[in-house]
Amino acid sequence: MRLPTNLLCLALSILPGTLAVYADDAYHIDYHHQLLGIPQPHTTFFHRPRQHDKATLLYTLSDLSVLGAINPGTGEVVWRHVLAGDSDGNASIPPGFLRPVEGQSCVISAIGNRVDTWDAMSGRANWGSVFEGSVRDLEVLDMPTVDDQMPDVLALFEDNHKGIMRKLWGFNGGVAWEYHAESHDIPLQVSTVAGSVFLVTLHTSGAGYDIRVTTLDPINGKKRNEYKLSSHLDVSHPKDVLFVGANSAAPIVAWTDQAKKSLKINVLGKPKDIQTLALKQLDGDVLRVTLHAPHLAQSLPHFLVYTESAGSNAAEVYHIDPKSGSIKKAYELPEVSGSGTVSTSSQNANVYFTRQTEDEVILVSSVSHGILGRWPVKTEKPHGALIHSVAEVVKRTEDTYAVRSAVITSEEDWVLIRNGVEAWSRPEGLSGAAAGQWAEIPEEETLAKVLEAEAHSNPVSAYIHRVKRHINDLQYLPAYLQQLPLRILSSILPGEAKSQSLGALLRDNFGFNKLAIVATQRGRVYALDAGNRGGIVWSLKPFDTLPGEQWFVRGIAVDNSNGVATIIGSEGEFVTIQITTGEIVEISAPGKLPPVTAGVVVDSPSGRLFLPIGLDGNTGKLPAAKLPKDNLVVLGANGEVRGLRYEIKGDDAVPVISWTFKPALGQRILNIASRPAHDPVASIGKVLGDRTVLYKYLNPNVVLVTAVAEAASTASFYLLDTVSGDILYSITHEGVDIDQPISSLLTENWFVYSLWSDTIAMSPIQSSKGYQIIVSEMFESEIPNDRGPLGPAVNASSLDPSEIPNAEPAIPFIVTQSFIIPEAISHMSVTETRQGITTRELLCTLASSNSIIGIPRAILDPRRPVGRDPTPKEQEEGLFRYQPFLDFDPKLIITHNREVIGVKNVITSPALLESTSLVLAYGIDIFGTRVTPSAAFDILGKAFNKLSLVATVAALAVGVFVLAPMVRRKQINGRWIVA
Amino acid sequence: MAALPPLPPSWALDLSTQPPRPAKSSSIPDPPGFSAASSSKSKSTQSSTTSAKPNPRDPQMLVKKAYEVALAPAKQLPMTFIMMYMSGSTLQIFTIMTVFMAFKNPLVGLLSTFSAFERFETEETRGKLVLVRALYVLMQLVGLGLGVWKVNQMGLLPTTRSDWLAWETARTPLERAIPAF
Repeated sequence: MRLPTNLLCLALSILPGTLAVYADDAYHIDYHHQLLGIPQPHTTFFHRPRQHDKATLLYTLSDLSVLGAINPGTGEVVWRHVLAGDSDGNASIPPGFLRPVEGQSCVISAIGNRVDTWDAMSGRANWGSVFEGSVRDLEVLDMPTVDDQMPDVLALFEDNHKGIMRKLWGFNGGVAWEYHAESHDIPLQVSTVAGSVFLVTLHTSGAGYDIRVTTLDPINGKKRNEYKLSSHLDVSHPKDVLFVGANSAAPIVAWTDQAKKSLKINVLGKPKDIQTLALKQLDGDVLRVTLHAPHLAQSLPHFLVYTESAGSNAAEVYHIDPKSGSIKKAYELPEVSGSGTVSTSSQNANVYFTRQTEDEVILVSSVSHGILGRWPVKTEKPHGALIHSVAEVVKRTEDTYAVRSAVITSEEDWVLIRNGVEAWSRPEGLSGAAAGQWAEIPEEETLAKVLEAEAHSNPVSAYIHRVKRHINDLQYLPAYLQQLPLRILSSILPGEAKSQSLGALLRDNFGFNKLAIVATQRGRVYALDAGNRGGIVWSLKPFDTLPGEQWFVRGIAVDNSNGVATIIGSEGEFVTIQITTGEIVEISAPGKLPPVTAGVVVDSPSGRLFLPIGLDGNTGKLPAAKLPKDNLVVLGANGEVRGLRYEIKGDDAVPVISWTFKPALGQRILNIASRPAHDPVASIGKVLGDRTVLYKYLNPNVVLVTAVAEAASTASFYLLDTVSGDILYSITHEGVDIDQPISSLLTENWFVYSLWSDTIAMSPIQSSKGYQIIVSEMFESEIPNDRGPLGPAVNASSLDPSEIPNAEPAIPFIVTQSFIIPEAISHMSVTETRQGITTRELLCTLASSNSIIGIPRAILDPRRPVGRDPTPKEQEEGLFRYQPFLDFDPKLIITHNREVIGVKNVITSPALLESTSLVLAYGIDIFGTRVTPSAAFDILGKAFNKLSLVATVAALAVGVFVLAPMVRRKQINGRWIVA
Repeated sequence: MAALPPLPPSWALDLSTQPPRPAKSSSIPDPPGFSAASSSKSKSTQSSTTSAKPNPRDPQMLVKKAYEVALAPAKQLPMTFIMMYMSGSTLQIFTIMTVFMAFKNPLVGLLSTFSAFERFETEETRGKLVLVRALYVLMQLVGLGLGVWKVNQMGLLPTTRSDWLAWETARTPLERAIPAF
């Protein structure tokens, strides 16, 4: 059995790696969820990208700071950009702002220290400016401009606890003027009205804040006047200020008292004039009050106050008299139980409020309480409670209207409801995935088990059992016969064979149907079906997290034999979920158990165990029954790597630190790479051209530690033996930009890492500058046919490497080559196949081009001859001449045309077919495909024409039937008839 | 219409009328199976040619003959070697045939070591034939060696370390350390 494996391995290593995603595979075997993140209420709107066209697009800047335009008809992404790219993703994303420019094909975004304008149709950038500080608000200055010129932009920044208002020219983003607000005021918002700009800041006063309103001249930025509103009793946090009216005719600032009994409103520009409106009281306590007002200057100065309690909601509409500034209540919308949302849309002077409840959509005008339209809501599947929405109202005739609203629901779906009917829904909650793991679809009661049971019982009862089983199986016969022609046809006809049972989770013969369990940073868990193009099987939110709070997943362990997955979070919370159904088996809320930094699956006397690792790499005492069989390698508190060993003391298993690794002074550990859990090696040696063998160094107990030194700008890589703590190899690269991504990977007997380095400054002789990928291969000995210092020993111990006391550890012989690559690699992963016969492929995430590339191992072979052509024997090994520049061939990109943004991790899993490895990339987007690094040698491709094969055989058969009698007659005639 | 009985076919006529006998001095040999009458004559001429040899039972002559037979395979060796050398070491039908023949001929030869020298076996020659047989076996072994050399040249002999790699196993580590980060 071993010989064919090895021969196959040799044969495959000689084969050239597959160098392409085949055109007929693209878009068939891969799937992609193009996601944006959860749209935010104040950055989502409908806008017309072309003024002469009535069609609108839906724009949003999401919580993951992805700016995107959605086609509201189909729900497909028109364009999108990641505005605040954060490769590690743990840093909190700054608040973002997005404003449309009315009457222009332009949207303006501001996030962090940037302000950018984008073409609304194509998504191309017009201009972008970078400033000091971070953006707190953004407004488009609505002033009459000439010739459709871009209006100017007001941006409010906070820099060193000081508000800075900047007016930017609309045509190029240059600063027209700056206004520095009082220091130590919290800059809140900006509002404009014809002829003046209001800057609203919060001024500390006692325990709370007073609101300070400064009026500025929009032309030169000079301060006209300012006044203070005494609000410190009610406002203790910037979030307590509910609303600062945007570009409406009468902008307002509003807040509620602490008990949420009344609403206090000041019309901007009217000092000392605080009007108090009583809030409508609902069944329960009022939890949330929101104000909805139009954003157009020409719209009527009406606004809606929306109050929500836990179980019901109601709304009141108020009118402002722009001259006197008095506010009076116009009408109210009755209290409705359940969740709901309200959104505003304005057309010229008309203002419409769309009220969305769980059962219906109601459209009212701001002027009167008459209902303009009412539609019952029909959705394809339940999406949960409504969170917020944006709506677009189109007046068809005098009294018929059409409404479409894009609603965010508590299931984290973005649903477009057109006149009450669901048009599409996008699973935006799937974005921001933080952790993922592959899971097998659990097998149902298998035939093998039944047969085994039969074998163990006595022959008579086994026979009766078998007859009964066959009779029982007969009930499936008609269905089988019915399906038979369809199955034959579908297997013969070209094209993708339709999966026979959509919806049901079944294993397939090739092992392509697997589930991926993905946990997002918002605390939601999804199961995706790789066999059904990444469709969502179930999703759930095991723990309640506050909006904006991140869920730090520390590990997902899948127990395929029991069909459950356990997810462990940073605060000790864990949840065990049934893989196929999404039912929660066991759950423990955050805080009950000590904090967790990682989770690891270990073998113990009481079976497999998912062991949480606490702070400082401490697992604490364990009961003796849970004594882990193996040692552990953990990350200690002060950036050190530790080896843990367990000792029995009484009834407890106590962890003992067996070794500690600290990098050199000034270095900190950036990353640790270890061999994948499933890393089979088919051949333990590498056969050279002269039939000698270089033995691979296949120690499973090694890790590759990446340590960087900021001050010296160096990156060091240490190869550690994790049992003894010995350093097997170390290398330091100088002139490394440690802000650039440094990724590393260790598998089989080779490791690879990439970094940006500038060695020209260091040594002018051997110089290179740019992104590099460095690949090293470990062998037991430099000499072929030699198994190194350990010799032919069957067992190996890192602690006691040989008979000689205190012997040196067996140091591997390492060959290294480095290549210059065109762009940064933000993450590395490697394909996994069932037996490791197929050559491995390095999957590198290219963040700047939003793609994933699969680099064949043959290119990254450190034994490629340098400066000369390979000898025939080296050619036999598949080596070719070393080229210092490794170009990323577009044919190697496994994401081909797709733009996969924000990839954080790529996970792989073996299929049942040896040639194939399943790949799933997650991050903002979800992308999945299958890769065949040594070409699909064990399955017929789609190019194989079964139809022509069958047709040929059939034609031959017909030919034989027709010709046989003719030939027979001719032969008889030839014998008996003389010519 | 009633017709005459047809003429006998031409071959029947040829058979019944014998052609004129050629002159005895003609050097053209008779076709095989020509005439039962002449066969006894030709047998007698054959026996007369063998009887032309001085003495068939001469032991020296027999041993000499036996040496010729024993060395016959060696005469083919240069030819076989050239064929093998020219056919290259790739796996193709011509090489496979040469290799097959290179193994088949010596093996068949070895199996017929006794039968090949039976006809030279007399009371006098028995002692000397042992040496001849040994030479014969040696020559066949040289031929076999050529075949083995060829197979080795083709890389089919498991003589290198790489051929036994599949039976070698990776070392099992006595300790395992599981990374947990």
